[in-house]
Amino acid sequence: MNEFYIAILSLIALLGVISVYFKKSPFDKLIGLAIMMGGVIPLIVIKGYLDVAILVAIIMPLTTIFILQATGRNTDES
Amino acid sequence: MIYDAAMIPTYICGIVAVYAVIRILTEKKTLKKLVFLNVMNFAITGLIVLSIPDIMVLLAGIAYFVGSTLEANAIASTYAGGVANE
Amino acid sequence: MPGVVLNIIIAALVCWILFITIDIIFRLPEKGGVSGANAIGTTIAADKGSLNGGCMMGNIVCSPDASAGTLLAACGVFVAGIPGGLLAALLVYIGNRICHDPGYAGTTGAFCATFLIAGFGLIGIPADAFIAGMVIAILTIQGVSHPYASRLLTKLWKVRA
Repeated sequence: MNEFYIAILSLIALLGVISVYFKKSPFDKLIGLAIMMGGVIPLIVIKGYLDVAILVAIIMPLTTIFILQATGRNTDES
Repeated sequence: MIYDAAMIPTYICGIVAVYAVIRILTEKKTLKKLVFLNVMNFAITGLIVLSIPDIMVLLAGIAYFVGSTLEANAIASTYAGGVANE
Repeated sequence: MPGVVLNIIIAALVCWILFITIDIIFRLPEKGGVSGANAIGTTIAADKGSLNGGCMMGNIVCSPDASAGTLLAACGVFVAGIPGGLLAALLVYIGNRICHDPGYAGTTGAFCATFLIAGFGLIGIPADAFIAGMVIAILTIQGVSHPYASRLLTKLWKVRA
């Protein structure tokens, strides 16, 4: 059971990090960060740190919203 | 890997999550990536809740799902040129 | 092994019919609720799709509606029985308000799905089959082909309107 979880979730997190590194548009980088957190949060849950997982799941969208407020509107053409 | 019939929902959720991530990486338009990101959120929530049957795990899954929906909402609104919600 | 697969197929059909029906009853395909949902709808419509179905897919992305309510109610029933499903309905209501969505589609979907899944549990289909079934149902709407899915949703919406 745990082998399947660790294989799938680490694959998702690595693909998210690779996507953040290679994509050019800032919105694509934010989507890559969302993929990476989707891989990391279940890894925290299956080790049993449930309070840490809830805290990370609440803080993650707030940081994205603050980044979007700081950088403003859409200016690139993609 | 040891074959077990009770693990079939977990296998389905994991395979759907990896498929959605591959579709995100091969999609060109940003707004259509968000639709595949929604599929990945559903599958990851299923994986979280199927891991340990406990009430705190349910709260963690709901917090992850609502948070990622809020994040997708903010990204889509800002990309569309309007004001970002919140 | 064949029993488990059959349970998941039945659960996927039930979830698909449930959340499409509730979304169409609450008039989600009519227009995008927030500006992001409208943008997603027009993007799908520009890519050989259809506008009403695209708006409904945008609404599913931008706010927890009946599909999210069905999934979270299945999770709640899997963890804690009927009280878990009602807790999930309450949290879906709070999530709707956070996302600036004035509708009640998510809460209604969670309530209906809670009692429906508890009822199916009495005749032998467990709740984890419904979690996998809901993942398969959302995959067929949002994950396979956007033009065909939006055209199908527009046909169903024209039956309602």
